[in-house]
Amino acid sequence: MRDKLPLGLLILMGVLGLTSRFIPHPVGEGMNAYLRDTLLRIISAFALILGLGNLLLRHTHKLEHKEPGWPHSIALIAGFVVTAVIGLLGGVSGEGPLPTAIGSFKFDITTIYNRVLIPLGATMFSLLAFYMASAAYRSFRAKSWLAALLLISAFVVMLGQVPLGGQISPIIPQISQWIMEVPNTAAKRGIELGITLGVLATTLKILAGIERSWLGSSK
Amino acid sequence: MNWAKLTQIDRRIIFITVGLAILIPLIFPIRMPVGTQRVTKHLFQAVEEIDPQEQVLLLSCDYAPQTEAENQPMTVAVLRHCFARRLPVLINALYVEGAPLLDLAMHQVMDEFNAHAKANADSILYGRDVVYLGWQPPPIVPILSMGRSIKGIYPVDYYLTPMDSLPLMTGVHNYDQVGLVLAITPLASPLWYVMYARTKFGVKVGAGCTAVCAPDFYPYCRSGQLLGMMAGMKGAAEYEELVENEYHPGGRRRATEGMASQSAAHLLMMFFVIIGNIAYFSTRRKS
Repeated sequence: MRDKLPLGLLILMGVLGLTSRFIPHPVGEGMNAYLRDTLLRIISAFALILGLGNLLLRHTHKLEHKEPGWPHSIALIAGFVVTAVIGLLGGVSGEGPLPTAIGSFKFDITTIYNRVLIPLGATMFSLLAFYMASAAYRSFRAKSWLAALLLISAFVVMLGQVPLGGQISPIIPQISQWIMEVPNTAAKRGIELGITLGVLATTLKILAGIERSWLGSSK
Repeated sequence: MNWAKLTQIDRRIIFITVGLAILIPLIFPIRMPVGTQRVTKHLFQAVEEIDPQEQVLLLSCDYAPQTEAENQPMTVAVLRHCFARRLPVLINALYVEGAPLLDLAMHQVMDEFNAHAKANADSILYGRDVVYLGWQPPPIVPILSMGRSIKGIYPVDYYLTPMDSLPLMTGVHNYDQVGLVLAITPLASPLWYVMYARTKFGVKVGAGCTAVCAPDFYPYCRSGQLLGMMAGMKGAAEYEELVENEYHPGGRRRATEGMASQSAAHLLMMFFVIIGNIAYFSTRRKS
């Protein structure tokens, strides 16, 4: 029963989704729209609660057992609790019952978003540039003619993606565009077709009940 | 010359030089002429071809603060283009994390236009010229459901105003009134629109993406499933320049300002790769 109920539900939902796509009858489409617009959103809401609970449990466990990197868990839990309290009780921009300003110093959710989350997020992402420069210097070697070809293509595309390339020679952006539109497109299409066929085969196997690893069993 | 030393440059030196290469052109701005790629021109043309009397543009964004530097200038440039043409805009967020960024972009461009407005007709008014639909999870739900009814999936806007009270929404029901969906993303949302909205409802789709995503979207531009694309910060700068040259809306062009910095960073990265290779081959020959 533990396996059969979720499997039956999956097959039912999968078949409903497929039939509404290929047989555009109003009844099927209406049912599909109801399942999507109502049921899927309810499941998403539960998934959010599940995710948040799981995140908190994981980090509380890490803290209790002093696992490596446990001080980071303190920052996560503190950040989680503080923003949740401010968000729930202080409102979006300080209209809630909780006071979210001391004089001219504001700490409502909008201020936290604009002054903390945006700079932190941008900082994390911009660190990539530094690591990429270091990694490219250490490992990007023209050890074979294929690696050399990749290196030359990378240089042309890098130059073509900045105005400087066009100033060095107007041909550079054109070659860069050609690399992106022709060899890149050919390779991407091949990869995409392969992935899609794989997805299709796996989907059919799941719908037919052959692939059951998602149920947590090895059968 | 001791080539072996060149293969072991301390990474702190690399980090400092990259930091300086990025910072100096930002502190002392150098404006570089930006050419235009074919895909950016096609996107600009696709927006130009929408009839403001008949249809609206749906600006669908799913970026978060992490890619704000690349994606936010795209949103701002597209909004300037639409407002300059008096083309009505609907905005929606596919992920919650970036939703306030769209609010910031919308108000920034509205303020820019309204600062020069002399009468109500010249102004950009919320509800008449632009509506921010807000966020509805998960992404596939609004993408598919907007084909049936936009008000059905967004009964209230981002500010909790009922849709029926917004003048723009009286004539906009579903994708039939949407001239183009422009998905601005660091992920794959333009492809979701191509897969679900374009194939099922026939709506036209364009993209604005981070540079790392751009290779994924070129096949779709070649096939015509995406009408055009802004690829990375360079694409955003190209779009900013196209809008500025055509309509002169003014305002700060952040992507264009960042081009000198990006040029310096790319050059420096190439320099390090060349140095690394010279040192590698020299030491290999010796050994």
